[in-house]
Amino acid sequence: METTSNQTPPKTWLVESILVTLFCCLPFGIAGIVNAAKVESKFNAGDIDGANKASADAKKWTTIGFWGGIAVAVIYIIIGLIIGFDKLR
Amino acid sequence: MINYARKILKWSIGIIIVAIFALLYRINDPDRSNYFPKCPFYKLTGYKCPGCGSQRAIHHLLNAEFCQAFKENALLVISIPYLLTGFTFDLIKNPGERMLKWRKALFGKKAIYIILSLIIAFWILRNIPYFQHLL
Repeated sequence: METTSNQTPPKTWLVESILVTLFCCLPFGIAGIVNAAKVESKFNAGDIDGANKASADAKKWTTIGFWGGIAVAVIYIIIGLIIGFDKLR
Repeated sequence: MINYARKILKWSIGIIIVAIFALLYRINDPDRSNYFPKCPFYKLTGYKCPGCGSQRAIHHLLNAEFCQAFKENALLVISIPYLLTGFTFDLIKNPGERMLKWRKALFGKKAIYIILSLIIAFWILRNIPYFQHLL
């Protein structure tokens, strides 16, 4: 029986997920936070494989949210350049 | 050696990008400029998302106008110290037992569920007319 109480859990991506939620206006940050909670609960239960998988999922959602936010900004700027920024208000 | 050089280069580029954005957001008020992206959720639904106002809040924070920043997005202002703490905890490579205990209390499962509930409550409340002026 492996104990996990004196080990560091895998990266939960919590800080990054919160940042994505607050700045990218996208639900992907929330998905990241839910997976962060999953990392913690699986790790506490001793399920290290499950925790690693949840960590990978959290990373995936935060990354999608991050690039999604950048994509929205880029699309906004491209549309603005084409039709004029004052029309986007 | 090459690894170190790459790390330093990566951090330098990161700091330069952050500095450029900080300058842009300090000088320009996203409320008065047309060049800042608008929230797609707000555009589509007419309801604010938990992140609405964060660009304006950053503008006010960078100009040391904390009250205005709080009015634009209270959640963002409140979360900054927490996020900085979390970022620092992430940087600690081999935390001791006490550190792990603090980590668990501040960033463990319970804490994450509290944060999630806070975000969702904030999301709902800021769209209810009576609270709109507060959040």
